[in-house]
Amino acid sequence: MLEVSGLTTRYGEISALRDASLHVGSGEVVGLIGPNGAGKTTLLNSLAGLLEPSEGTVTFDGEDVTGSSPERLLRMGLALVPEHRRIFADLSVEENLRIGGITVPAGRRQPLLDEMAEQFPVLRDKWTTSAGYLSGGEAQQLAIARALMSEPRLLMMDEPSLGLAPVMVDVVFELIASLRDRGRTMLVVEQNATRMLEMADRAYVVRSGAIVAEGTGAELRDDDRLFDTFLGN
Amino acid sequence: MSNAMTHHPSRNLRRDVAFPVVGAVLLFGLFLGAGLLYQGLLGGHERLVTFALIDAVIVLGMQIYIGNTGILSFGHIGFGAIAGYAFALSAISPVEKLKRVSDAPFGLVDVQLDPWTSIAVAVVVVVLVAAVVGVGLARSGAESGAVSATVITLALLFVTHELARNWPDLTGGDRAGLSFRIGGALDTRVPIYLALFGTILVARLFAQSRAGRLAVAAREDNLAARAMGVNPLVQQMLGLLLSVAVVGVGASLRVYEKGSILPGDFFFNLTLVTLVMLIVGGRRSVTGALLGVGVITAGRELARRLGQDGFEIFGIGLDDAPLDWIFRENLKTVFLGSAMLAFMIWRPAGLLDDWELDRWLRSRFGRRRSEQPTTPPVVEFDDTDALVVREVDVAFGGFQALRDVSIDAGRHEVVGIIGPNGAGKTTLLNVITGLVPSDSGTVVLGGVDLTGRPSFEIARHGLVRTFQNLRLFSALTVRENIEVSALVAQKARDHQPPDVDALVAAAGLWEVRDRRARELDYGTSRRLELARAAAMSPSFLLLDEPTSGMSDAESTAMIEQVRLMAGVIGAGVVVIDHDLNFITGICDRIYCLDCGHVIAEGTPAEIQADPAVQAAYLGSSAQG
Amino acid sequence: MAELLQNLIDGLGRGSIYALLALGVAVIFGVMHLLNFAHGELITVSGYAAFWALDAGWSWYLVVPLIVLVSVATSLVIERVAFSRVRGADDFTLLLTSFGVHFVVSAIFLLYVSASVKTFSRPGWVTNTFAVGSLRIEVFDTVVIGVTVLALIGTSLLLQRTMFGLALRAAAADFDTARLMGVRSDSVIRGAFALSGALAGIAGIFWLMRAGSTVPSAGVNPMLKGVLAALIGGLGSLRGAVLGGLALGMAEVLLRSRLPDSVASLTEGVVFLLIALLFIFRPQGLIAVAHAERV
Repeated sequence: MLEVSGLTTRYGEISALRDASLHVGSGEVVGLIGPNGAGKTTLLNSLAGLLEPSEGTVTFDGEDVTGSSPERLLRMGLALVPEHRRIFADLSVEENLRIGGITVPAGRRQPLLDEMAEQFPVLRDKWTTSAGYLSGGEAQQLAIARALMSEPRLLMMDEPSLGLAPVMVDVVFELIASLRDRGRTMLVVEQNATRMLEMADRAYVVRSGAIVAEGTGAELRDDDRLFDTFLGN
Repeated sequence: MSNAMTHHPSRNLRRDVAFPVVGAVLLFGLFLGAGLLYQGLLGGHERLVTFALIDAVIVLGMQIYIGNTGILSFGHIGFGAIAGYAFALSAISPVEKLKRVSDAPFGLVDVQLDPWTSIAVAVVVVVLVAAVVGVGLARSGAESGAVSATVITLALLFVTHELARNWPDLTGGDRAGLSFRIGGALDTRVPIYLALFGTILVARLFAQSRAGRLAVAAREDNLAARAMGVNPLVQQMLGLLLSVAVVGVGASLRVYEKGSILPGDFFFNLTLVTLVMLIVGGRRSVTGALLGVGVITAGRELARRLGQDGFEIFGIGLDDAPLDWIFRENLKTVFLGSAMLAFMIWRPAGLLDDWELDRWLRSRFGRRRSEQPTTPPVVEFDDTDALVVREVDVAFGGFQALRDVSIDAGRHEVVGIIGPNGAGKTTLLNVITGLVPSDSGTVVLGGVDLTGRPSFEIARHGLVRTFQNLRLFSALTVRENIEVSALVAQKARDHQPPDVDALVAAAGLWEVRDRRARELDYGTSRRLELARAAAMSPSFLLLDEPTSGMSDAESTAMIEQVRLMAGVIGAGVVVIDHDLNFITGICDRIYCLDCGHVIAEGTPAEIQADPAVQAAYLGSSAQG
Repeated sequence: MAELLQNLIDGLGRGSIYALLALGVAVIFGVMHLLNFAHGELITVSGYAAFWALDAGWSWYLVVPLIVLVSVATSLVIERVAFSRVRGADDFTLLLTSFGVHFVVSAIFLLYVSASVKTFSRPGWVTNTFAVGSLRIEVFDTVVIGVTVLALIGTSLLLQRTMFGLALRAAAADFDTARLMGVRSDSVIRGAFALSGALAGIAGIFWLMRAGSTVPSAGVNPMLKGVLAALIGGLGSLRGAVLGGLALGMAEVLLRSRLPDSVASLTEGVVFLLIALLFIFRPQGLIAVAHAERV
């Protein structure tokens, strides 16, 4: 579904991402793991249209979408749950979901809202609450549900477990697992490598702006060098 | 190079005084020459040139503030109004004053001073007002781009205008105003020449002075400047007072030349004209401001002639003199407004950006120090200045960012802080350096409690930091960046900081010392940030992810860089980073943070073997 | 007491117009971080349109919607020609661009359209008053307050109940994330300018009716009031803008009635002084909108 080839993104002089290539097939759950500052968020932001890559190509369902705007990418079926969630704190839970579905035909929106209410009981209980009052875990669920409102074909998530208490981390990963079981195609950047590898079909290891390893979840989990990559030796 | 040298490491008389003087003479000559050329060869109106010269004084006055601080002031012409009226009331003879403002308060009718004393009075009055306004601006948090500062100055413009219109006893009101007797106006250009030359000189000298350069640093990056010990409010106030004094001189001359003053003379129209002149030429440079005056004066004149001939072409027989004036006036306004728009859209930095004639001359003709200075020797560590952080708690809304965090660091040590993203490392650094208040806990350096103090004070006490997302003074050169810290350190630190050139060389930046910071590649930028922090000669260097974005080779090289810098200034180091190669290579001790509290502490070997650390980094499996 | 009530009503009448103007300014600031100094030009342009229409025999019933339409159209044109080119620029650039637009539009008007004051006939009821107890209430004020309330309700409904309003609020809160949701930057910014134009149009109707004339510089005063009121209220807060407008109107009326006659003409000056003082002591305005600085 998604083909990325030779992607390079710069911040002025800094090459935050160098020559990255990866692919995500329909129905797959692919992880992007690696130490911090490695460039994982840069990669996702480049794919979502928030950053413009200086080199490389991105192909979505066979169509070249390199350098497209976020608005266009969303309409093509590529949704991003951004790092730090970025929910609209002054809007209610319902309004956050509604705006997630702004590209969906009006008639379809209410059924989708009902679906979300059912899938995310925690959100249903706080339907009219201002999103700024949600806890970290609830906010993360809202961010994911909001992205699902656009009925994406590929769902990208940037560090969903960031800053969450261990119990909430469980909840979030369970959520991701259930999405996987329902056949969602996902590309997930995660700091929690262990959990990500348990859940993903495949994963890429990103370090210092480049992809340094690739494999199935099982393969990478058993690889001793992974630890070294993270803790340096 | 020993520290016993008597020269100031960051003041360079040739660069900061000699060349600016030469440049000022040349600029004055060029500007005046252009004006006289227009007068003589092109049959230009003498009065136009006279007013252009006076406008140049006013525009330069504005440049001193707007250009160096980056704060957009709409109110300088309001200051001009105050000065203009003060001048008029002082200099106009009692006979003339009786005609217009017979009931003037404070016995002003009887006052008559000679014009030069009157200008001095006007300057004193307007500077006093500016001091009060300046306090207000500081309180409102003025910094480059701040809306509130612009609004306050705009309000000032309106207040003075309203006062001038509605206090006829003092100002002669809206229709009559004040005026000198016929023939009492300024009839020679000599004072104007003197004022203009003086202004060019003062503007350049200020920009090269300590206050000017610190103001520019704050303009480039307010936060970073404060982290280097600069108190932007002081520099901005100095800039404001100087700039208002200059505008006061210019405004007085304007009144004197015109021979009268009306409220409308110092309101929106003059504000537009002077701002456009400043913007078009380049607000960051004195040369630019002068160029802007020239360009806009020429443009307005062209527009005026076009307007004049234009409607004649259309065959409209307008004998009506007032209407004539309106047409001409407004074509000029269209021209000015369009120029403003065009430059904002296509070239916001103006024609010259911050190019200065004397700096160019110096780069062409000045003698440069060619041999690279030797690296300064390593300094004895003073171990009495330990950093003690105790029981710090920070909560953002409902989120507990830091919980009961305590760390210790000695000046002989390199202490690392590691932990996954969101663990609170940068928050801790922000608390220590005063960017974020803590809910409880203390930060003590060498026995002095620094908790909750403003960041510039903490920096001056000896805690200096670098930033995760690199905050250099981008328009300044490598050397100038480092000089900012050195300038602060000279006054704020007890002992002499190392020679700036020596630091530049030690950081491996000698080759690029005259390049602007924004032109550097990433690794070099990081080293510059480190050197700039070191130039403050602090007790501790607090580095926030200094190797972020670097390749493995660069990270390894950074280990040596940090050791070298710290050694040269005798500072302890506290460093946050994710690159554990770097951390284990450089640190004597490491703290590991997760979810806002310290989960492990020890030597690099101990930390790497600690299962809690491993779990924090790699993540743990389901809790069950 | 009666005087206070009188002042209250007069102040509300004035403040309502300011509130509408301020809201128009705040809406644009919310999405673009741009303080629109050209806001007043909308009133100038629609004022001239009104004059010509009335001159050509149109009735006020037709002229009222004309004013709103012209205001909206002018707003969109200004966005297209000038402001669209400086999106995302720093505050300094935005402020000066807005300043430049103000001058260009008003000067073009002055130059190419007309230089003189144009008076027109106001509808008869504008000068009527009626008595309630010892109060003399202008019919005009009641109409202004009434229409403003309706306009505010309408705007509130637009913002709270429609997808467009939701998109606008989301974009004002976090423009980039709104784009991630699929909100188109062009649509939302143009929508904001259209809404701002409509609000200015409604305010303009009453401004022009009260003045009974229009002049090329007609836009300066409304612009100033609108901008200052939005700032008083706290930029970024729509509620604040409305409050700021009402507060400004009240302050003007109260000051004028309290100040001794000899200095009554200084009311405006005093108002500006108070505003400056407000910014010194509370730069974030009445309703602060939090801005975090990422280090």
